[in-house]
Amino acid sequence: MENAVSVNQLVKNFVLKKRDGLRWSSTQVKAVDGITLAIPKGQSVAFIGPNGAGKSTTIKMLTGILHPTSGDATVLGCIPWKERTRLARRIGVVFGQRSQLWYHLPPRDTFELLSKIYEIKRDLFESRRDMLIERFQLGEFLDTPVRKLSLGQRMRAEVACSLLHGPQVIFLDEPTIGLDVIARQELRDLVREWNQENGVTVFLTSHDAGDIQHVAKRVIVINHGRVVLDDKVSRVRRQYLREKVLSVKYADTPESITLEGVKTLKESGHAFKFEVDTLAVSIERVMTEIMRIGTVVDITIEDPPLEEIIAHIYSAPRVDAGEEEPEEEESEEGAT
Amino acid sequence: MNWLTSYLNLAGAYIKINTKSLLAYRGAFISQMVAMFINDFVWIAFWCLFFTRFPVVKGWGVNDVITLWAIAASGFGLAHMVMGNALMLPGIIMKGELDSWLLYPRAVLPHLLLGRSSASSWGDALFGIVVYAVFVKPDLPHFCLFLALICSVAVLFVGFSVFTGSLAFFMGSADSVSTQLRIAMITFSTYPSPIFQGFVKILLFTLIPAMFVSHLPVSALRHMSMTEALYSFAGALAVLIAGVIMFYTGLGRYESGNLMEMRG
Repeated sequence: MENAVSVNQLVKNFVLKKRDGLRWSSTQVKAVDGITLAIPKGQSVAFIGPNGAGKSTTIKMLTGILHPTSGDATVLGCIPWKERTRLARRIGVVFGQRSQLWYHLPPRDTFELLSKIYEIKRDLFESRRDMLIERFQLGEFLDTPVRKLSLGQRMRAEVACSLLHGPQVIFLDEPTIGLDVIARQELRDLVREWNQENGVTVFLTSHDAGDIQHVAKRVIVINHGRVVLDDKVSRVRRQYLREKVLSVKYADTPESITLEGVKTLKESGHAFKFEVDTLAVSIERVMTEIMRIGTVVDITIEDPPLEEIIAHIYSAPRVDAGEEEPEEEESEEGAT
Repeated sequence: MNWLTSYLNLAGAYIKINTKSLLAYRGAFISQMVAMFINDFVWIAFWCLFFTRFPVVKGWGVNDVITLWAIAASGFGLAHMVMGNALMLPGIIMKGELDSWLLYPRAVLPHLLLGRSSASSWGDALFGIVVYAVFVKPDLPHFCLFLALICSVAVLFVGFSVFTGSLAFFMGSADSVSTQLRIAMITFSTYPSPIFQGFVKILLFTLIPAMFVSHLPVSALRHMSMTEALYSFAGALAVLIAGVIMFYTGLGRYESGNLMEMRG
């Protein structure tokens, strides 16, 4: 499949100036340290990492805002920092902390202005605008000044604005920041629908595990400016989920469970919560034992939250230059 | 040609949306405009009083000073009415706010400049035109040349603001330097040009190009001289080109607000 985004050994250094008395000294800080990745057209990718990992710097290079220190990248066949204006017509960008809506005016006016900026023909503009109004349910507040909108409404309008010119790739930089649970869910659904129905490539950064889980099929984790993991979201969950949590409700008091790798986390009446180490014992074996010791009324098997997995990946130590990063090898499968 | 039409359309769209945005707070907008009009008018009153005591200063009379103020105020006003972000450029660069402008399929500088309208500049622009029409009472050719010179001065002010604002790419915190230079430009632009001689005059034709506001346009209007008018346009264009070169040279150094400075 053709790639929407290709990045090869991308490096960005920043100059850190420091004053020591009357003297200034400067040192180079590596914000992005040789990132290589490929994103096929139509894929939805979560690009995550702790603060200062190099996510925003990478996005800024991929959208043509920043020039890299070295390395190559193409987005839809364009070199972003050399063909910025050409690329800008084909990508959409949403910064959760930066608005392109006019604060004192209704979203309708921003739509009008964007049609002039992107030079969209009037009839095409009107049909796209009306379709976005319907899909993003903007009708009720289309003529309300942006300052009077809730954050959820504003973000819906932001994303709709970034889709007005029909981009093939959309970069979303923490789009759900500050949103409540419902607004967050609505926005995730909209982005996912847009990806699935319109084939738009989604490049999402977020600190919210829910965004990653609901929107992305693939997750790329960067830390210290390097890719430390690149795989399918589902595989990441499986791979990093050694433990599963089983909540079991019995009809009456069961016998005690004595399997290696099974720990009772909580016991309340006839309800039990077990933690199972799947490397020590198979789920099948545990299930058989659970059924044997009593009459089961209800049972649920849960994975630990994605947050825990991400925190585990983030906490991995930095690999020095020249050393292999085993996680990256797994990316081949996840990337396809 | 298509490029020009496209950018004129864009300018039209921005003028419309900027005006709408200012009118969202009609009272605040009108009061700022009126306050600037009065502020400019106080200066004219001062010069009128001055010229009742000293009727001629190195060949300049009260009408010349009124013409000067009319050109300077309306040129400055027009510049920042249409391209209000010229005044905000150092802050925009320093805070990494260029990012948003770099995401659009437009040449970043003209697009960025069009993105804002300064409310008080509307007062300046209005003041200049009213004062020239009411006090100087020009005939039609003079008034047409006056309007053309306003555009020239507007280009000059935008070019100068871009040049000084772009220092932020090289100096980091250039807000105060840029403001000081702009104030110097405005100050020297609003005094009769004959009072500046020698080195200062050279300075005002080069580093602080106030002579292209206070000397050549006034002289062009006084003598209906197309040559001096053309020199004014050429000077304004040169300053604009210098500003554009400075901006795009600096843009390569733009670090999206990530240039970190620490006190040791």
